[in-house]
Amino acid sequence: MTKVRNRIPGAALAAASLAMAAPLLWTLLLSLKANGELLRGTQSAFSPPYTLQNYHEILGHSAVFGWLLNSAIVSLAVTLGVLTLSSLAGYGFARLRFPGRGALFVIVLFGLAIPEQSVIIARHQMFSALHLHNTYAGLILPGLAAPFGVFLMTQYFRALPRELEEAAWLDGASHFKTFRRILLPLSLPAQVTLGIFTFLSTWNDYWWPLISATNSDRYTLTVGIASSQMNFAQTNGLGFLMAQAVFASLPILAVYVIFQRYIVAGVARAAS
Amino acid sequence: MIRRPARWVLPAMIVALGACAPKSPQPVEITLQRFFGACEAQYGASADVAAAEGECGIITTLINQFNAQNPDIHVKVNVVYWPGYDQLSAELAAGNPPDLVTMHQSVISDYSQRRLILPLDEGMRSAGIDAANFTRVAREGVTRGGRVYALPFDNWAPLWHINMNLFRAAGLVRGGQPVLPRSPEELLQQARQFVRATGKPYFIQSMVNEPSAYARNLFTFLMQQNSDFFADPRHIKLQTPEARRVLQLFAQIYAEGLTGKNQDYTAATGAFLNGQGGVYLVGTWLIGTYEEASKRPDSPLAGGYAVVPYPQLYAGRDVTYADGHSWVVPNAKRSELKTRAIFRVLRFLQDNDFQWSRTGHLPAYQAVIDSARWRSLPHRDEIAKLVNSAAPLPAGVQRQFLIQQIISEEMESAITGQKPVDSALADAERRVNDILFNLL
Repeated sequence: MTKVRNRIPGAALAAASLAMAAPLLWTLLLSLKANGELLRGTQSAFSPPYTLQNYHEILGHSAVFGWLLNSAIVSLAVTLGVLTLSSLAGYGFARLRFPGRGALFVIVLFGLAIPEQSVIIARHQMFSALHLHNTYAGLILPGLAAPFGVFLMTQYFRALPRELEEAAWLDGASHFKTFRRILLPLSLPAQVTLGIFTFLSTWNDYWWPLISATNSDRYTLTVGIASSQMNFAQTNGLGFLMAQAVFASLPILAVYVIFQRYIVAGVARAAS
Repeated sequence: MIRRPARWVLPAMIVALGACAPKSPQPVEITLQRFFGACEAQYGASADVAAAEGECGIITTLINQFNAQNPDIHVKVNVVYWPGYDQLSAELAAGNPPDLVTMHQSVISDYSQRRLILPLDEGMRSAGIDAANFTRVAREGVTRGGRVYALPFDNWAPLWHINMNLFRAAGLVRGGQPVLPRSPEELLQQARQFVRATGKPYFIQSMVNEPSAYARNLFTFLMQQNSDFFADPRHIKLQTPEARRVLQLFAQIYAEGLTGKNQDYTAATGAFLNGQGGVYLVGTWLIGTYEEASKRPDSPLAGGYAVVPYPQLYAGRDVTYADGHSWVVPNAKRSELKTRAIFRVLRFLQDNDFQWSRTGHLPAYQAVIDSARWRSLPHRDEIAKLVNSAAPLPAGVQRQFLIQQIISEEMESAITGQKPVDSALADAERRVNDILFNLL
């Protein structure tokens, strides 16, 4: 009886894992089927023949590697920028005393409550005036305003013991040196968490690239693969659509596999 | 002392002389923005239009062919996600629109009224494009206030795609032709007969997450009753006996189980392909798919596929609502050279309209409609009469995509019994008029 009871959580976890993985496996199976077959019925996904034709069509589009490169450049630049700015700002808010610090921090926090939709027209006009559309700068700069990052890093720095800094000061370290040599290394777990979430959200961003990078040379992967879908793709090109989904998620999957340990730790830390 | 020239002098002189040689002029670059997807893997290097299939294949090879035949012009293609109007609006707002854009004829008013696209009359005349050669429905679709704002590419309309094998089993085939209803009563009677004989629904419809099919049905059957529901392009009238009749008919069809239920576009398209119903209400673009299926012996449509325009159910006029694809030129500063190049592209697209019509869409030019090669394509004879019977909404009506969506939402509520017909019509009318009242 006890044996059975002990196995229940394992079985429940296995069932939950299967439920989580099922849509992904379904996507993968559909991506390996010809579109014409799927039009007649998706049940054919469970039986051969399978084909790589949908992947061939994605890779045969000469622009797709350009879109990948654009996404990589934008995501990496935004991630590096957010980490740098959020760490500096977080340290300032957590440790430095200056006039208006509280008010400024509240203003930053307001940024958390303002949805992107409410500022998009003003931002679009501003970037038009600055001729920044269809440039990397146009795609990167909006992502650098990251109130969540500032908030996260501020809270993290506040939680670090002050004695560490005081010891550094006694040894004659400046504020910046203390930040760079003592606090920044200690904040690595938070940086990794912030970096991963920033990278993922930038990689998956669709709306701003859609209206800012309107020239196909500057498309990011999300906009590019959407543009290559035919009308009624969900009907006539389901296999192709699923192959696009798999292809677009591969780099993210790679990031997850490489940083799995940090992501799990980061999520656990965020929850606590 | 005369020194020997250094070794690098001769090559340098050759390079310098080469730089002075006359260069071939750079081609004029035109940005053409379109939907229809990307299919570069299959057609990226091909200019063989006749061998291409489908919307994407034909438009890709057409542009490749234009570039190959016109070395002084380079058409750069920007493919956008359907329908691409968010991107176009963003580009117009940024002052950097493309040179040529695909646009639904029902959307032209949204842009022409704000002068965001250019009238093309003069440019077309200089390029030898005569609007008198457009079909009537195409001309109506691209003309606003007496000016032509787009080069029409095609027209499309909802059709009755028919499974003749099931129709035969239901005794609804006479002389090899499907027996079609001539009134709402006949429709109900034939649909009941069909269901009794086959055990399958008479209609297959996309009824879930459907942004426009309901509205197309309503527009068609209102037009058939001569209902002037858009007498004023900024005010719709839907609380009318004509509209009530249409909704009540479809609600009855639904209530009696004469139609498939709870299917979205994908499910409905597959259901017809798999022989799960008699008539699928959908547009011209699926003719090729079902024609192909009818040639496969293992298909439920094998040797038994027909397609016809909507039958006339009401004693008014024989008409079907129609829309179409076209090419517009956004308003922007351009050189004379570039403008001339744009009209050369338009002329090329006009001259190749037959190739485009192989997609299943109706040609926009009467000469193509009248041509033997178009008539010899499958089922084109049956749908050719649409040239005379198809009609768009009045030219001044703006926000037609949104209007269709609102009407479809309200019709779905009424037909599936979630809302009384009168309430749905009142709500649809109020919501549409709110949109139109607030237009700039």
